[in-house]
Amino acid sequence: MMRLFGPDLHVLAGVYALDGIDDDAERSRFEHHLRRCQQCADEVREMSATATRLGFAATQPPPPPMRERVLAAAGRTRQLPPVVDHARPTGEPRQRRAGSRGRQGRPVPRLAWGVVAASLVVIVVLTTVLLRTQSELNQSRAHQVAITRVLGAPDARAVTERTSLGGTATVVYSHSRHSLILTSAHLPPPPNGKVYELWLLGPPRVRAAGLLPATAQGHTSPVLVKGFVPGDQLGMTVEPAGGTSRPTTTPILVLPLRV
Amino acid sequence: MRPAGASPGHPEGRDRNLDGLLAQVARGDENAFAILYDQLAGPVYGLIRRVVRDPAQSEEVAQEVLLEVWRTAARFDPAKGSAATWAMTIAHRRAVDRVRSATAAAEREKRTSVLLPPADDVADAVESSLERERVRRCLDGLTDLQRESITLAYYGGYSYREVAELLGITLGTIKTRIRDGLIRLRDCMGVT
Repeated sequence: MMRLFGPDLHVLAGVYALDGIDDDAERSRFEHHLRRCQQCADEVREMSATATRLGFAATQPPPPPMRERVLAAAGRTRQLPPVVDHARPTGEPRQRRAGSRGRQGRPVPRLAWGVVAASLVVIVVLTTVLLRTQSELNQSRAHQVAITRVLGAPDARAVTERTSLGGTATVVYSHSRHSLILTSAHLPPPPNGKVYELWLLGPPRVRAAGLLPATAQGHTSPVLVKGFVPGDQLGMTVEPAGGTSRPTTTPILVLPLRV
Repeated sequence: MRPAGASPGHPEGRDRNLDGLLAQVARGDENAFAILYDQLAGPVYGLIRRVVRDPAQSEEVAQEVLLEVWRTAARFDPAKGSAATWAMTIAHRRAVDRVRSATAAAEREKRTSVLLPPADDVADAVESSLERERVRRCLDGLTDLQRESITLAYYGGYSYREVAELLGITLGTIKTRIRDGLIRLRDCMGVT
């Protein structure tokens, strides 16, 4: 890949701390750099703390009913366990990592390698399906960067589930990236005039999450779904061509996105 | 709204207080979470309102953020910054995600999208506080370009490319002005 950053890379610290980088690839490159540049990481930490003061200055009383809703939701929401570094001998403190932001790397637990292996299988499937035409390839470059970010996330998990119509769906998801990738294998083609539609089934509401592309050699090319939040489940239904805004049939697949 | 323990005028004391509360929350203490809520809900909601603007959507995003604070409390690493910064970073990112995905959706539907500068009506309605005064004073110490860039990026939720477009200046200049401005704010506010 082209090197876009010279010695002036650190000037991105300000816009990074304000979430001002909207290009995923550019942000990934800067985060990669942050892991090796302690000075930049310190600067980002200070600038994030500065931004926090700006945030506190915007304080407004929230709608009163929100309090009870949030506290009640907490009461029925399981918390994530702490990140445990299995490679670390007992008693030795966790290595301090550069950076101050949730998007940056955490120590990768040993278990995650199982996910990486599963992800690699998915990548192989994905690339064979992806590398079809040059125009598709160009179009999917940004898509692939986004996919790589999910696959490379320290908290990436892979799960495969059979649908009620047969065939399987494999999902790699990352809570830290709020994104998931879905591929399917041996799913029967939808009936004429119908499509498979994906949904994020959340406690706040159900959101349409895109259509499954047509099957090629028994597989579908990867669908990237962004913006899932804790508590969402992934659902798939059969809908009229073009998709709908609300699910109208019983899901053929419901996948909890466990942490 | 704000309990006696929270003192908006003293960020360092507030930060230590929140760090301690978050550690209790990480162990599943729902009472500690209620206290944490009372201290963070106003800043979280206010910031999201500033970026997202629509009250109903802001409330939805704020709820998601506060629930994420509960859910991921054990993942908070004090070596990387204060609990306040951790929570407000999540809040800002979620708010920005919401407006950027809304913008993308609007563009897909070929609706005209109008970029609005952040209005001061929200800020005017905010209760006055020592911290707000201090922030205002520090913002006043910036050059116009630094202040506008930071305000558009942070309160407006605009990417630096959009800020450059809005202000009609180059990307390189925007990156530098935002960084220089934040350094000045940091020093003015005594952030360490």
